[in-house]
Amino acid sequence: MTQEITFWVLAVIAVLGALVAVRRRNLIHGVFALMIFFAALAGLFLLLLAEFIAAVQILVYIGAVGILLLFAIMLTERVTGDDARDITSRGSFWGWVAALAVLVFLLLPAIQSADLPQTTEPYNPSVKALGQQMMNPYVVTLEVLALLLTAALIGAVAASQGGEKKKEDADDA
Amino acid sequence: MSLELIKDILLATVPLLVIFPSLFAFTTWMERKALARIQNRIGPNKIGIPCTRIGLFGLGQPAADGIKMIFKEDIVPRGADKLFHLLAPILALIPAMLILCFLPLEFPWGKFMSGQVQAFLLDSAVIFFFAISGLATLAIFMAGWASRNKYSLLGGMRAVAQMVSYEIPLVLSAVVVVMMAGSLNAKEIADVQTGFNWFVLTPWGLAAFIVFFVAALAETNRSPFDLPEAESEIIAGYFTEYSGFKFALFFLGEYIAMFAISGLAVTLFLGAGDGPFLAVAPWLSVVWFIAKIFGLIAVMIWLRGTLPRLRVDQLMAFAWKFLLPLSIFNILLAGMSHHVTVAYPGTTAQVVTWTVSLVGMYVMAKGLDKISRSTAKPREYLYAE
Amino acid sequence: MTLENCLILGAVLFCIGLLGALTRRNAVVVLFSIEIMLNAANLNFIAFWRFSDNPAVLNGPLFTLFTIAVAAAEVAVGLALVIAVYRHFKTVDLEQLDTLKEE
Repeated sequence: MTQEITFWVLAVIAVLGALVAVRRRNLIHGVFALMIFFAALAGLFLLLLAEFIAAVQILVYIGAVGILLLFAIMLTERVTGDDARDITSRGSFWGWVAALAVLVFLLLPAIQSADLPQTTEPYNPSVKALGQQMMNPYVVTLEVLALLLTAALIGAVAASQGGEKKKEDADDA
Repeated sequence: MSLELIKDILLATVPLLVIFPSLFAFTTWMERKALARIQNRIGPNKIGIPCTRIGLFGLGQPAADGIKMIFKEDIVPRGADKLFHLLAPILALIPAMLILCFLPLEFPWGKFMSGQVQAFLLDSAVIFFFAISGLATLAIFMAGWASRNKYSLLGGMRAVAQMVSYEIPLVLSAVVVVMMAGSLNAKEIADVQTGFNWFVLTPWGLAAFIVFFVAALAETNRSPFDLPEAESEIIAGYFTEYSGFKFALFFLGEYIAMFAISGLAVTLFLGAGDGPFLAVAPWLSVVWFIAKIFGLIAVMIWLRGTLPRLRVDQLMAFAWKFLLPLSIFNILLAGMSHHVTVAYPGTTAQVVTWTVSLVGMYVMAKGLDKISRSTAKPREYLYAE
Repeated sequence: MTLENCLILGAVLFCIGLLGALTRRNAVVVLFSIEIMLNAANLNFIAFWRFSDNPAVLNGPLFTLFTIAVAAAEVAVGLALVIAVYRHFKTVDLEQLDTLKEE
């Protein structure tokens, strides 16, 4: 029963957080709403007994991605973070239609009530087991991921300052 | 919610909520006294027992400060974002309080409660600690941004850049201990170190401890890394526009975060509650734990009285060009030493690995120091001599 | 808390993300809409794993871990691109970034 209530509370927080994040004019408020959404999702992961994933969710999304987004906004918008122009794009009507259509499409199987498994095994995975499975069937994925992250790091540095640097060098010469 | 569970939750949380804020009060007094001694002053010495002339070395000062803080006017700038201005100090305090529960403080009444409510028994307690302590960064940004004050914003952005940079060496130096202990569980890490098998007593543990402590200083915005609140440059940084109780909350949050991160250093490197006479009186483990935290805090205060503040470029170069490569190299050394000692058990192998590690770390540190020195030249004035 | 509820929540969150990506004109907001969609997918992974016959096989959490890592890389590169675009055009308004379009 407690689980049920917690689930619904977190679900409502997540949906509201996501809605505010995508529709709020003030971008800084938007990012903080997004973080509430991430936190609610971390709570849901905890509820589903994926405790390590919840920790990683907080560490990566709130601690790193959120801060990055804040930095990007501070670098590209005015300080108050208000999106001064019209915030909705041209043809946003079709955006609403498409989003609602996808929602209906995704919910159709649920309305038809496909026979989904109803019970859970009360199994709490240890971090050790997670690490072992990551090393056994998924080791190649892990290596590829490490490569991807390195490439992303170099790419991000190159993209964000490469062009500017040359200009400065030219000025110096 | 059964009565049993409520009792357990109270037993788990109330001690933390009582012990650490009172330690905070004592620490502010201790810090002021110590700084005064370093600067050849006396420090607070008047306030003792009210209505008498008994001074008690000024021990009443924290209480007087607290009363003053509560009764001060709460000022919110007209242009400020009211909601965020209010939320920031609260958000600064909550994560600091939360991470206290991941420290393996084993109170004597621990055996009366179920393991369910003891967060340090979680399988990934150390990861949770780092994840939640990262939230403090957000509070600081929020405070700096919501104040609508240039100095606040500058201080906030400085703090965010600093904390994000120093989090990486902090986590990487903890990785060494996690590798050695083979667990992310705070209790298990503490248990591995019983009987003076402290990780700080190994070469890689010592190096990791030093990196961890330096990064922790930066993470809690302590001197010499207190650029976000450099009063000679940007007034008080992100809490320029805070007064009264909100300011007190920031202050409290900062000190609680200091206790928490020192507590993690004690857990990871200094053997948690390990110490003499534990066989006679097991309850001493809490005392040892808090005594070790106080030792680290004393070092922090001492550094504050001694070291000048860094420049921004020095700060960033130090994190990315010195601490980060050093901690990665340290992980490499620790892993290699572990495998060598497993493959060739015996004293010879151990002596060889220890010597190699110590020499390797020393050479690496020297070399990195040479490379990472800031290249900034003395400032050239355009319109002044 | 049945699997059905988790999946419905995932679908709703995914569509909110989609809505943001399709209707906002700020590039940063589009990026965080994509994050919302990825998170909705993560929720589904975890839910399917929790309600599977054999939760000892940790495919769900591992996939989620990999998604989180990929998302982090994506955000880093995406924001670097946004900043590069801002340097060049002095705006991150997606409606105005149409120089490739035929006039």
